[in-house]
Order: sequence, then C-alpha cells, then structure tokens
Amino acid sequence: MTNKKNRNIKEEAFRYLFMLSAFVAVVSVFAIAFFVFYRGLKPFVGGDHGYSLFQFLSGTEWRPGKNTFGILYMIIGSIFATFGAILIGVPIGLMTAVFIAELAPPSLTKIVRPAVELLAGIPSVLYGVFGLGVIVNVLKNYSPTAQGQSLIAVIFVLTVMILPTVISISETALRAVPKAYKDGSLALGASKIQTIFKIMIPAAKSGIMAGVVLGIGRAIGETMAVMLVAGNPIAGIPTSLWDKIRPLTTNIALEMGYASGLHQDLLFSTGVVLFVFIMVINLILNSLIRKKIG
Amino acid sequence: MRKLKDNLLKSLIYLSAFITVGILVWILGYVFSNGIGLINWNFISNEYNEKTSYVEVKITNTPLSINQESLNEKAFYNQKVDKPLSDAIYSEKLGIAVMEVEHSLRGKKENQFIVAYIENGSEAGEALDKSGKKIGINLGDVITKIDGEALEGKDLKDLNAIVSGSNESLVKITKPGYGVLTNIVTTLYMIILSLSIAAPIGILAAIYLVEYAKPGKLVNVIRFATESLSGIPSIIFGLFGMAFFVVFLKFNLSLLSGALTISIILLPVIIRSTEEALKSVPDAYREASYGLGATKLQTISKIIIPSAIPGILVAVILSIGRIVGESAALLLTAGTVAKIPESLFASGSTLTVQAYYVAKEEANIQMACAIGIVVIVLIIVLNILAKLISKIFNKANY
Repeated sequence: MTNKKNRNIKEEAFRYLFMLSAFVAVVSVFAIAFFVFYRGLKPFVGGDHGYSLFQFLSGTEWRPGKNTFGILYMIIGSIFATFGAILIGVPIGLMTAVFIAELAPPSLTKIVRPAVELLAGIPSVLYGVFGLGVIVNVLKNYSPTAQGQSLIAVIFVLTVMILPTVISISETALRAVPKAYKDGSLALGASKIQTIFKIMIPAAKSGIMAGVVLGIGRAIGETMAVMLVAGNPIAGIPTSLWDKIRPLTTNIALEMGYASGLHQDLLFSTGVVLFVFIMVINLILNSLIRKKIG
Repeated sequence: MRKLKDNLLKSLIYLSAFITVGILVWILGYVFSNGIGLINWNFISNEYNEKTSYVEVKITNTPLSINQESLNEKAFYNQKVDKPLSDAIYSEKLGIAVMEVEHSLRGKKENQFIVAYIENGSEAGEALDKSGKKIGINLGDVITKIDGEALEGKDLKDLNAIVSGSNESLVKITKPGYGVLTNIVTTLYMIILSLSIAAPIGILAAIYLVEYAKPGKLVNVIRFATESLSGIPSIIFGLFGMAFFVVFLKFNLSLLSGALTISIILLPVIIRSTEEALKSVPDAYREASYGLGATKLQTISKIIIPSAIPGILVAVILSIGRIVGESAALLLTAGTVAKIPESLFASGSTLTVQAYYVAKEEANIQMACAIGIVVIVLIIVLNILAKLISKIFNKANY
C-alpha cells in the first residue's frame, strides 16, 4: 500500500518538475522584457539624471562625451538597411526556393539544399569578416567617398544573411500547396513556369510573407556582421547608399563594454526601441501564421 | 511569345539558385584561402597572448645526430610567416638548433631567433623556470637572451660561445602567441556549461508539452513564450544577460553569465526539436506500456525517452552549432579576455568572439579567417553528425 502511495508521490513530483521546466521559458521571456524595459525606460522617468525621450528619439547625434544621445539616425539607418536587404534578398531567395521545390533535378537539389543549410549555419561574425574583406574592399573602388563601409555594404551583407531564412520558409510554403492546384493548372494547358508564377506562388503567399517577415526580423536584429561593415558614425541621417550608418544593434554592442551611468541606461533604451520593432514584427508574423491556418 | 517569357523567367530562377550557391562558395573560398596559411599545429596549440619567461636548461653536451645539410632540411619554421635568414646553428650544450628568420605576422617585419630543431636526449624540453615550474623549450619558441646576452645583432655562428654557463644555462624564451587554444578551450567550457543547463530544462519542458499538457491557456502561454524567445535577436539576450546576470546577480563578465544567457537562447531550439522527437514515438508504444501496468512516469523514462534519444541527440548537436556561432550575446556577457578562464566567474572569449575581436580591433583579417576555418569545419562536422544520426534512427525504428 505504502509502495503505491510512494509511487503516486513520485509521479506527482515529476509532473511538477516537468511543468516547472516548461515555465522556465515563460519566466525568461518576462524577465528579459522586464529587465530591458526597466533599465531602458529609467532615464526618461528619473528626475535629475534623466534624459528627454523626445530628444532621444529625434536626435541625430550620439556623443556620450557631450551628453548628447540621439538615435533617430540609427533608427533610419536600421530601417534603410533592412528594407534594402529585403528588396534584393527576397526575390533571389524566393526564386531559389522555387528552384529547389519545383524545377531542380534531384542531382542539383542535392547541391543547393545543403548549400542553403550551410549558409544558415555560418556564424554571423564570418559574414562580417567576408563583408569587411571582400564587399567593403570592392566598394571602396566605386565609392565617391573612397570608403567602403557604408549603407550599401550593410545591405549586401544582410541580403546574404536573410537568404537561408527566406529560402527555407518559402520552400516549405511552396511544398504545402495542394498538388491538385498544380495539376489543375497544368491540365488547363498552362506551362510549368506559368503554373509556378500564376498558381503556386499566389497560393503560397502567406507562407512566403512569413518568410519575409522572419527575414526582416533577422536583418534588423543582426549585430556582429553589420558592426564590421557599417562604419558606425556618431551623427548624420544617411542620405545616400554610400553614407556610413550606425544601426541600433551596433550602437549597443560597440559601447556596452565601457559605458556606465546614463550612457549605459540609454544603450538599454536603444535596446528597447529595437525590442519594440521586433515585437511588432512578431505580431505581424503571428497574424500571418494564423491566417494561413484559418 | 509565351515560350520566350517562360524561358526568361526560367533563367531568372536558375540564376537566383546559382547566386545563392555562388555566394556560399565565395564566402567559403575567401575564408579558406585567407586563413589556411595560418592553420598549422601551432595555431591550434598556442595561446593567444605570447608568454615570455626565463628558463634554466641543463647543459648536456649532446652531439648532433644529423649533419648540417639534413639539419637545414629538417629545420622548423612556419613557412607562411617566417623567412629563414640563416642556416640552423646547433648548440651542443643546449641540444637545440637556432635559426634566424624574418617574421611577418602582424603586418610588421622583425628578425627573430627561433628554436628550429631539438636533438633527442636534449634537456631543453624539460627546462624549468625560476620557480621550478616546467616550461620546456619547444620548436618555434623565440629565443631573445642566453645567459644574459641578447642574441639580437649577434652572429649565430658564435652560438656555442654565447652559452657561457657550465652546469645550467639561463635562456629567455618567448612562446609565440596568436594561437586559438585559449578560445577553443573557452568554447568547450561554454558548450559543456550551457548544455548542462539548457538541455535538461529544454528536454523536461518538451516532455511536459507532449506528454502531460492538455491544450488550453497554459500551453498557449508556454508556446507563445518559446516562439517569442526564438524571435528575439541575440543582442537583446546580451542586454538582458548584462542587466541580470552580470550586474544584478553580480556574476560579472564571466563564463557563467555567458553560459546562462546562451542557455535561454538554446531553450526554444531544444524544446522544439525534442518535441518533434517525442511526437514521432508511435502511440502504440505508450499504449502497450500502459497496458502492461506501467505508470506514466515509467512509460516516459523507460519507453518514450529511450525511443526518442536519437532525435534528442540531434537537438543537442544542433544547439552546439548555435553555441559555437553565437557572438553578440557573449560579447556583452562573457567579455573578450583572451585567457583560459580559471573559474566560472572569469571572463573568456569563444572562437567567434575572438574572430570579431581580431577583425575589428586589430584589423587582422587573416587571423579572423583562420579562426573562421576552425569554426566552419566544426559546424560542418556537427551538421553531418546530426544527419547521420537521424538517418540511422529513421532506418532503425520504422
């Protein structure tokens, strides 16, 4: 009898252990949000050692030495870079996904798919090293300022980095299109290419969009690769592709090592702005996925 | 007309796939061609910082066992960065041969005297420093002084005369740095530490989600949390780790702070893959186990987990790839100190952080690429391992 009771206690204890582990993820999310927001919002509510939220969000200069902290030019830089990467990366990624899912003979799929997987596995630092050693060096020859570190260098590096995300999600979406759609189109006399562009891609639209949104998330959150090729100036809204930019992420990573006091808190504030961007992106993503299921 | 348009689009599709593969080949080619020159045993086995020490070598008068010609052939130097300036000159007293080379690793050229050969039976390998700690003279070490006399500007032919001690000779050697042993060890620590935190929690959480939880609010909250976690960029994890582990819990920039931060990053990866592994265990197994009178816990521990082990293993291997590749979060939580961490609370830089550091702070692309080769090879091996395991698993079970 006691044996059975012990057994029950053990069963229950482990059930709670399992449950507790599952809640670690929940606690982590809340802790992350709490700590980043707490440190990041502190400067804007605290009296003497505070900083004006308006100046922070609308300033175009970041000079910790002069107590000037404006991140508008970083927000714009981040958005431009992300937008550019999506503009180039999504068509290439989508077409590569079409290639793998629809057109490629098995022998070529065996090359392209592992290549995409490896591209996803390369650490972001190495993209940065490649960007610094190759892209920046090449751009140097064409830039009117004779400097390679620029918005366009960031765009190129990010383009490569979002490719694996866009490709794998789009491929999954294309494969999920019911075979009947494809057969129906082909039976009506449409060519293979027409079927792909007129039937398959429109049918897989929401899945492809999810890939695009994930790509945006990856691009805007990327730090190490971008830091090496962006140039990271202390002021100036980028007006041309050749201008240096300072994305939000690199602002944090560059200065966190030695910042203290208000300066450090405002780096957290930069993180909050980034966090808000990511949350908006995730909300869009969730609604896209729900739409796909519904 | 239609055919023309079709062919045009078709060639666009082929072009895109070609660009994707081409970029990968380009990146790998660039990293390998730039870094391969530095890859040799010394690169793997040296620490990052050079270390200078005085060592006492017992004088043994070991005759050279080979002639001068074969000595020059056997003489050790790193051909990519060292240009020999003299023959290797053998000292019977020390039992080593020294060679002058022009060394050009850090952009500047300097002349160095390096240990090019060590004779069998020489005591040099056993050399102790003044505190009695064994340092040992190895091939490639740089000798700057022997018995108080600087070698710089001297003719090596007088080497035997410079060695003036009669029982022992005091040699000032510099162990060359610019290796990645430090970072490899730190990376290994980081892998072991963060996996031993994240793997149990992630696996247990997945068991809860698959075996216990009933669909409802609770599960939705947990799912929302894991999905949110996988969408957060690593720099935000870094910020959190910095605010919570480094500052609030006062762990400082350390191995522990870094590992705890990475553990959170790994959670969604491990949970999701383990869930997949658990779900692929056929329900018949569970029913059979219950039918035999086993409890839920017994079924999980004796039936489900053993059947899902290969899948869980794949999850763990993939997370190792994640740890090796992580850098932004570690930059903010574990620091960039290139020393082998002596405790959980010591700072240390992993391979990728080091690659960033040398590329950014020292503009040493060659070294960054060499580290890149080590990392890429590691990641390819891990990927192949994961594929092999899932292949064997798929064949074995169904």
